[in-house]
Amino acid sequence: MTTLRMLAIGTLLHAKHLSRSPFEVAMALIVPLVQATLAVHLFRSGDGSHRLIEAAVGAGLMGIWASVLTGSGGAIQNQRWQGTLEMIMLAPRRPVTVILPITAATAVTGMYALLATLAWGRIVYGIRIELAHPAAFLAAAVACVLGLGMFGLLLASTFVLLRNANALANPLDYPIWLLSGMLVPITVLPSWTLPVAAVLPTTWGARALREATVGGPVWPSIGICLAIGAVCLVVGGYCLTVFERRARVTATLALS
Amino acid sequence: MNPVRLVTTGGALAYRALFNWTTPAMYAGTLLAGPAFQLIFFAYLGRQLQVADDRFFIVGNAVLAASTACVFGGTLAVGNERRYGTLGHVLLSPRSRTAIFAGRVLPYAGNGLLIAAFTLTVGTAALGLRIPLAALPGIVLALATGSLACAFFGLTLGAVGLRFRDVWVVSNVAASLLLLLTGVNVPRSGLPPWMATVGEFLPITHAAEAARTLAAGRGFGAAAPALGAELLVGTGYALLAVLLLKIFEAESRRRASLETL
Amino acid sequence: MDSEHTLTAPSPPPPALSPSTRAGSDFAIEAEGLSRTYRTRTGWLRPRLQTVDAVRGVDLSVRRGELFGLLGPNGAGKTTTIKMLNTLLIPSAGTARVGGYDVVTQTREVRRRIGYVFGGDRGLYDRLSGLDNLRYFAELYAVPAREQKRRIAELLELVGLRGREGERVEGYSRGMRQRLHIARGLLHRPEVLFLDEPSIGVDPVAARELRRTVAGLAANGTTIVLTTHYMAEADELCDRIAVIAGGRIQALGTPAELRRRADGRRVLEIEAYGVPDAALAALRELPGVRETAVEARGTQQLLTVQSDTDVDVQGDVLRELSGIRLGRVTSREPTLEDAYVAIVNAS
Repeated sequence: MTTLRMLAIGTLLHAKHLSRSPFEVAMALIVPLVQATLAVHLFRSGDGSHRLIEAAVGAGLMGIWASVLTGSGGAIQNQRWQGTLEMIMLAPRRPVTVILPITAATAVTGMYALLATLAWGRIVYGIRIELAHPAAFLAAAVACVLGLGMFGLLLASTFVLLRNANALANPLDYPIWLLSGMLVPITVLPSWTLPVAAVLPTTWGARALREATVGGPVWPSIGICLAIGAVCLVVGGYCLTVFERRARVTATLALS
Repeated sequence: MNPVRLVTTGGALAYRALFNWTTPAMYAGTLLAGPAFQLIFFAYLGRQLQVADDRFFIVGNAVLAASTACVFGGTLAVGNERRYGTLGHVLLSPRSRTAIFAGRVLPYAGNGLLIAAFTLTVGTAALGLRIPLAALPGIVLALATGSLACAFFGLTLGAVGLRFRDVWVVSNVAASLLLLLTGVNVPRSGLPPWMATVGEFLPITHAAEAARTLAAGRGFGAAAPALGAELLVGTGYALLAVLLLKIFEAESRRRASLETL
Repeated sequence: MDSEHTLTAPSPPPPALSPSTRAGSDFAIEAEGLSRTYRTRTGWLRPRLQTVDAVRGVDLSVRRGELFGLLGPNGAGKTTTIKMLNTLLIPSAGTARVGGYDVVTQTREVRRRIGYVFGGDRGLYDRLSGLDNLRYFAELYAVPAREQKRRIAELLELVGLRGREGERVEGYSRGMRQRLHIARGLLHRPEVLFLDEPSIGVDPVAARELRRTVAGLAANGTTIVLTTHYMAEADELCDRIAVIAGGRIQALGTPAELRRRADGRRVLEIEAYGVPDAALAALRELPGVRETAVEARGTQQLLTVQSDTDVDVQGDVLRELSGIRLGRVTSREPTLEDAYVAIVNAS
């Protein structure tokens, strides 16, 4: 119970901290709007002009993923730069409960992107926000935040263990957008990509959101998204415990 | 004193000092893999939505690939001076501003060309596009022109960044606007007229058009007007950057508005 | 409170005034042979391994409720020692226990009982208010929800930040940040508090406030380990002081005991301008002279010459410095600082 409370308050306060950075907010609001505009015009140029709402939702989800990727990739590095990494690791808690709120917060602030692209679609392009299952859409959005937050934790923990992995993972936004079919499911991809896509929580999160938008069985997708997220959480938690021990040996918690 | 030396040696030194991105992992991840993934993403999206053929996306995104290095490089070339507190000292130099900053731009443009060529190679190999051999010199020229124009665009952004607290917002937004407005990923006929018009005044737009014309095997003559337009845009940004730097410098001496002086 | 209970007790740590008597030890901190080696890799293409021995065999025991000072020059190993004691670093060799728990293996138990405050303005969430910072760490340190409000209010009062807690930390002065650091370190009523150069960069008035706060905590039974550069601070506060240099403890004792190390000495202070190194070397060779030190103060230099009391070196010293522009010359009794300089120079 106290752990749940700590996770919730930690996530809220980290989200508050992120929301007060002009850079983070501008990136979460402006870039997804450009992406949404691009998506709308791509859909119109091709044969997708009747599904513009999918472009708006998809661009928003792309924004959430971008936020999680940059935020989680840098989660531990940023704490190190602020000098707060030592302070939070000193808490008498498991490392995973200390880091999870940080990556979850990046998914929460990423939600700005989804709200922004929906509003943009409505105002600029007059897209009617008609959702097949409004309640399920909300649930799918929450599942995306949780699933992506847990996926982010796995990324954060592997990034700290592998030197330079963060830099190598920087361009992972496009592949995940593509494989998960965030904008549209890509049926023309080579078949070997299917199993890869199937284990990504982003694939199922995107699917749940799409099903809630245009109709379909939302709940199984939500369930799979959360289940894969839980696996990420367990593996990530293990990696973080290893990381904490190793960082105490190599003296890499602090900057100096 | 030799201005060529200031442009080349000075430029190279400034590049090493200010482009603090170039660890091998950063380079491979952000500058090589990133644009390649972007190209593949849009090519498949284009196939799925039947927007245009592979050549459209592959050649267009290869030209655009230079923009990350050039836009962020230009921003760093000026922005990092402020961060390190060295801008004041650079502006105190008695040498020509134009030579100093032209020297800074060249390495970024060269880097951009390298990345664009790499992206084109990966894109054509991965997606199986054939480009006529005779068109290659022209395409390289188009890539180089686009990179140079883009680097001057980056320098302009860097100068603008001197007046904004968060240079990174400016350059990130600019980089994503290039994605939308240059017609690299949405055929310009599919953009609202005002967006297409803005695109005319951005780097990459004309270089991408020229490269596509060449890749289609229509010969250098057909691509020359677009290449000329790209050069014009690049020159425009070069002049704008120098002008902005001069204005901000003069202003800062009057009102102490650059925190560096 | 017996040891079994302490081991299985959930989150609330025991209050500072009822120290657990685990293992029957009177010591809050015990360390034997603590050593720490850093390895750094330099170079990309041809990585070179460099090893630095930061701490080479430190033995310490700090009694419960004691205020223990760690003094030493930069790079002496103070911070490394503290970080080994507070579980942030694993020693390369040696063992340490805090509150009877091993700092390498029983980290959770140790962490429940300790607070850590370091100097400087980093280590806080700048874009959050002071209150939000405290709320977050109160959660992390498992301060029970119903106690949090009262505890935070109490601490804000203690460090004099009441009324400013709603402001973002980015607007805080250095002194305010430092006080917030201290409040954060005390949230869970630690038995042992590590203060790593808490007064660095703090103005004199704030530094005095800080000393009063620290003294108050010690009076209430909190064990405190303090590192500092300021001799007067250590002299005023500490029950015992360890002078550490070159990764080893060079001297250990009460401030009075350490001061006695400089007994039988006189100190000559000379203000001078442009003393050449050769003249300094010559001073050191004079009969009766034990230590010399130079401190730059703008264009001026302050020359300190320690000598045996029974030899009057003033005449000789001034003769060596003839031709150099001099200011005031004073002769005085040695202070703790002089003792410290003597110990560090001897190491």
